[in-house]
Amino acid sequence: MPNSTVFKLTDVNYFVEDLKILQNISLNINSNDFFVLLGPSGSGKSTLLRMLNCLNSPTSGEIFFHNKHIKEFDIIQLRKRVGFVFQSPTMVKGTVKENLTLTQNWSKEDNVFSDSELIEMLEQVGLNSKFLAKDAKSLSGGEQQRIALARVLLNKPEVLLLDEPTANLDPQLAQKILELVFNLYKEFNLTVVLVSHHHQIIKQFSKKVMYLIDGKIAETGNAAIIDAPRNVATKAFIDKESK
Amino acid sequence: MTQTFYAITWTDVFVSLIFVAISIGLIRWWRIGLEKTLLVGTFRTFIQLTAMGYILTYFFQQRHWTFMVGLISLMIIIASYEGYRRLKIYHIPNIFWIILGSFFFTVFIVLGIILKFILSVEPWYYPYAMIPISGMIIGNALTSTTLTVNRFVSEINHRENEIEMYLSLGAPIKAAVHNSFMESVRAALLPNINSLMMVGLVQLPGIMTGQILSGIDPLIAVRYQIMIMYMWISTATMVDILVLNLVYRQFFTSQMQLKRELLRRS
Repeated sequence: MPNSTVFKLTDVNYFVEDLKILQNISLNINSNDFFVLLGPSGSGKSTLLRMLNCLNSPTSGEIFFHNKHIKEFDIIQLRKRVGFVFQSPTMVKGTVKENLTLTQNWSKEDNVFSDSELIEMLEQVGLNSKFLAKDAKSLSGGEQQRIALARVLLNKPEVLLLDEPTANLDPQLAQKILELVFNLYKEFNLTVVLVSHHHQIIKQFSKKVMYLIDGKIAETGNAAIIDAPRNVATKAFIDKESK
Repeated sequence: MTQTFYAITWTDVFVSLIFVAISIGLIRWWRIGLEKTLLVGTFRTFIQLTAMGYILTYFFQQRHWTFMVGLISLMIIIASYEGYRRLKIYHIPNIFWIILGSFFFTVFIVLGIILKFILSVEPWYYPYAMIPISGMIIGNALTSTTLTVNRFVSEINHRENEIEMYLSLGAPIKAAVHNSFMESVRAALLPNINSLMMVGLVQLPGIMTGQILSGIDPLIAVRYQIMIMYMWISTATMVDILVLNLVYRQFFTSQMQLKRELLRRS
């Protein structure tokens, strides 16, 4: 039985004044996909991802979530269901525990976490109970990214959006974080949409790959297209990145 | 106790030009190059304050509430325009109307409490009470509003990633901007709170000094000053929170998205 469609985009465009960031984007993201968006800087990957969390709205075109127009959802509920991990993790002033329980500041009834739940989540992202009392801002980039992941997962999302979560990390750490994301994807039965520029690392994880070049879909397929692109623009981009 | 009233004459005012002469002398000696500007400032102070004196004398002779309400409204509109002028670089939608509404509300509340419950002025539109107190409230509201909105814009620019992180987790806008809001109000209120701490220890406030020089019993002058200090902090708190509550919403779309293009423009 085919997986159900989680996101459906039809003819999505996004312009900022005269600048065409995204053009004629139509795609389906199915449940339990591990969907990777690749492409050069400024190709519109992050903007596309932001639209799925409703941080941006398309200039024209439609986005559907579970076959219902995204505008028909309560935005707060939608964002809880579609978690977003940013390129640079933002830690607020305070301990790791305070960072993990940020959501309690505005929604006490849904988000009361016991210490054991928080420790369990920390362990899921490769950290331990000692981190709870640590100053979040003093942690390394990799540790902060794990905390950011844990914070999003505590919301119990069904979709996880990741915007180049390994961009500021060295290749070894990037590999570890991506392995972690892949394990979480399986563990929590998530649908993952990941923006990355690590072609070679990412191909071992991805089920579907889409290349965005100059705001347009250049090529879509499975991980095999990373090694054998059919599109000329994709090939040129991969060759440039490989040098 | 004998009260002494030092009536200052126009001749005395001209003698006070000796202070300007000292400044100009020092400026020339050190070749700072501000002589012309200082002279213009000296001349403008004389003309503007003299004109204000005659205008106030005319206003103080008026005895009808519609005139007073009209005058205070005009003062609020002018102050709101000044606030708009100082903040227009940020392109915040509706900023003039936000300031105007907040000023009207704050002046109404603060002035009402003073005239009705503290000074028990009869009639309530008695110009000797209404005009100077309104002037102080409006002036204080303008300064505080400018400070707090300036700081808020700077905070949300600085905290853009933090705000979007909050939003992406499903936070309401109010929670997403809470840190920016809090820092901005604190920054605007701290000078006022510091004044509450330091008043009378380092310097005598100008208003109190003026009253004492005019022959008012220092204890009465002190009581006025205390009331004014409390009025200032209340005005600043009220207007800052009111203005920011209306301003922060302007930075978000109806879909609870941060208007990043507005941040770029500001």
